Amino acid sequence: MKRILVLAAISGIILFSNTSHSRTKLVALPERADTVIRLDNPHFTLVEEERVLTLQKGTNQVDFSWAGVSIDSDSICIKILTHPKEVNIISVSYPPGENALVWQIYSPQAYEEKIRISYLLRSIDRLITYKAVADKNETNVNLQSFLVLRNFSGEDFSRAKILLDYGEIFEKSVAHEETKQMLFLTRQNVPIEKQLTFDARVLPWEPEKVQGNVGIPVTYTIVNDKKSGLGDCGLWGGKARIFQDDGHGSTIFLGEDNVAFTPVREKFSLYIGDSRDIVVTQRKIKDVMVNIRKNADNAVILYDTDEIMKIEIENFKDSPVNLTLIENIPGQWDMEETSHQYEKEDANTLKFKMDLPAKGKQTITYHYHRRNVR
Amino acid sequence: MKKIISVFCLIFLFSAIGYCKIDLTTLPERDRVQLTIYNSADLTFVRESRTLTMKKGDNRLQFSWANTLIDPTSLELFPLKDADKITVTDLFFPPRITGLGVWNINSHISGKSPCEINYFTSGISWQAYYLATLSQDEKTMKLDGYVKVTNRSGEDYENAQVRLIVGKIHLLDEIAMLARRYPPYGRPIEVIPPDEQGRREQLFRAKAAVAGAADRVVVKQIEKEGLSEYFLYTIEGTETIPNNWTKRLLSFSQDKIPVVNFYKYEEERFGKSVIRFLSFKNDKAHNLGKEPIPDGLIKVFKIVDKDEHLSYIGQDNTKYIPVDEDVELNLGAVLDIKVEPKLIDYKTYNYNFNAPNRNISGWDEEKTYRITVSNYRNLPVKIEITRNFPHQYWTIENKGDFGEYRQIDIDTVRYTMEVPPNTTKQFTCKVVLRWGDRQH
Repeated sequence: MKRILVLAAISGIILFSNTSHSRTKLVALPERADTVIRLDNPHFTLVEEERVLTLQKGTNQVDFSWAGVSIDSDSICIKILTHPKEVNIISVSYPPGENALVWQIYSPQAYEEKIRISYLLRSIDRLITYKAVADKNETNVNLQSFLVLRNFSGEDFSRAKILLDYGEIFEKSVAHEETKQMLFLTRQNVPIEKQLTFDARVLPWEPEKVQGNVGIPVTYTIVNDKKSGLGDCGLWGGKARIFQDDGHGSTIFLGEDNVAFTPVREKFSLYIGDSRDIVVTQRKIKDVMVNIRKNADNAVILYDTDEIMKIEIENFKDSPVNLTLIENIPGQWDMEETSHQYEKEDANTLKFKMDLPAKGKQTITYHYHRRNVR
Repeated sequence: MKKIISVFCLIFLFSAIGYCKIDLTTLPERDRVQLTIYNSADLTFVRESRTLTMKKGDNRLQFSWANTLIDPTSLELFPLKDADKITVTDLFFPPRITGLGVWNINSHISGKSPCEINYFTSGISWQAYYLATLSQDEKTMKLDGYVKVTNRSGEDYENAQVRLIVGKIHLLDEIAMLARRYPPYGRPIEVIPPDEQGRREQLFRAKAAVAGAADRVVVKQIEKEGLSEYFLYTIEGTETIPNNWTKRLLSFSQDKIPVVNFYKYEEERFGKSVIRFLSFKNDKAHNLGKEPIPDGLIKVFKIVDKDEHLSYIGQDNTKYIPVDEDVELNLGAVLDIKVEPKLIDYKTYNYNFNAPNRNISGWDEEKTYRITVSNYRNLPVKIEITRNFPHQYWTIENKGDFGEYRQIDIDTVRYTMEVPPNTTKQFTCKVVLRWGDRQH
């Protein structure tokens, strides 16, 4: 289904006489020469195609029509390549009720003229997908990225250059309604950091009261930098499927997550699944009002609190684990005492990072005052 | 029902776009197939090896999977040998054809070449389940663990190596949805596909509910190992699992597991009933601890006489139990153990009146409960009584036979006691709750 057509016709010299121009006097139906499908914009696909027109001396009429194809007509551009100084575009007109436009091109003499037509084409786009295979120790991955071209534009392309802003460039034929998957990026031994995160704001505190297990989310983090063998350009977002070498010449599938667009130097995290071998039990063991201020009616108007939180963590695995606990203290507060160091993520969020040894058990307690509670 | 068909064909490259399905050179059978089946999601990872016959130059391999539940976005082909000489240039899904993908392969060699084809399918599932038998004195238990594999994928898998994954996997899309979706990666503007496959699957599910099909016990070894956050069970040898068949395999059988019978009473969780629990630990001391125990239904029986007749006690869905963790099986409410708290004394005092309008601003509330714990069984039992308070401003005074008392958190306390057979124990607890500005 070739639907995008270019017809070069001699239209006579009477330039403005023909509002209903006949497109009969066909001079040439030039074939596409080089075609580029540029997919660096996730929402719009730019097609550039080069064609050789046989121009007569004088004014030529070139019809460009795209029945059944979704071209953004405002985006169509033409560029004269062989004789850009001599050959001029006189006008562009759009016939009524048609997916077409007509260029009036003036040529000082008969030329075989190479032109480049570019336009935004709808219903053709790409997806990016990733496949990562982790080693048995989960320290690095072999990363592959695929370009999936989805062409539902109504147009067939033969031998088009298909490219993103990075990775391999492909020269492929793509038919209308065809989907094509191509491996465009491979990186070996990309370092990963495996991390488990217990977020006390989201997960239940007392697993024994929960039907089923409380899974602790597990993530792999990859940095888009030179050290990772990446860092040349921002990585496009897309679905990633993560596998692991099982040590027996096979792999298992660990899980899948979306990679967000990741600029250079930034990192992305892939949530692969939940660990049920780490059990976290959090309990508040003290919570009393102190430093109480009352108004004339003897009503409490301002107070502080004295609170102690106790978190027991058990690792039932025979390997050590990196665990991050995210804790929340609302409002204004002062830490009195803590069994473990923490990072203040923001005013109300505390992050305890800990290395849990294999089969290890640890207890975190932190004692704090909330201040000026009203 | 072989539905997955690989057609290997030779097409000269520049014919392009007109996809002819002729020039068939080989129709390779599977040499080996490995199924890795997940239980937390409807997902099976299939790896199959087939020997392809390559021609020098450009080759095409057509793979079709009509009426199966394969996720086309997971399809992958790679050479197992001569990886530097054989390049998979792309995989395309031709227009207006469902259930078909074609790989373009460029080869620098000709002849037979072993390749691997990987994909995800839905429709194959596995489930762990357990039969537990308590000894007559209820001190030990025999535990048989089974795995049941059911294939409703639409495809027969012959002589497959079967691996089962225990773990909670994160998925963005259901594999069954991806299997039904046409085109495989959707359209640039998403159109909802006709739901014919969906109806078909519902039918399967309806059948699944009644089917306990074709159980057959095979004593095979199951290799077990941990990988990442998962546990991998590899069933010895190979299995043939035709479509719509279920297979049951014994995973482990362990006798003489010491168990603790205990009972819980906590009004806020269980109401007025006493709930029976059976507890043991997944460790060496309990003759277990070799591997985590996957979640599944456990049915608990008890040997009632010398002839080993059985009586059914109850069932529970177990959690996943890591090695060294305690297991508590909830076997439901019982009538032969009773816990009856009775409010026997009630007082309020220490009233505060705030200065300007002399309204009540605080007081103490004293509640005295007599808690009667009765064991009507012929066996000693352990009972755990948990009491919750409305807030953290309280004091408590326990008197009598209350066993071991422990504060759990700011508003929860627990009594743990052993009660001999046919015995009733009593204790009182006086709780003083401070309200209003008595809390300050």
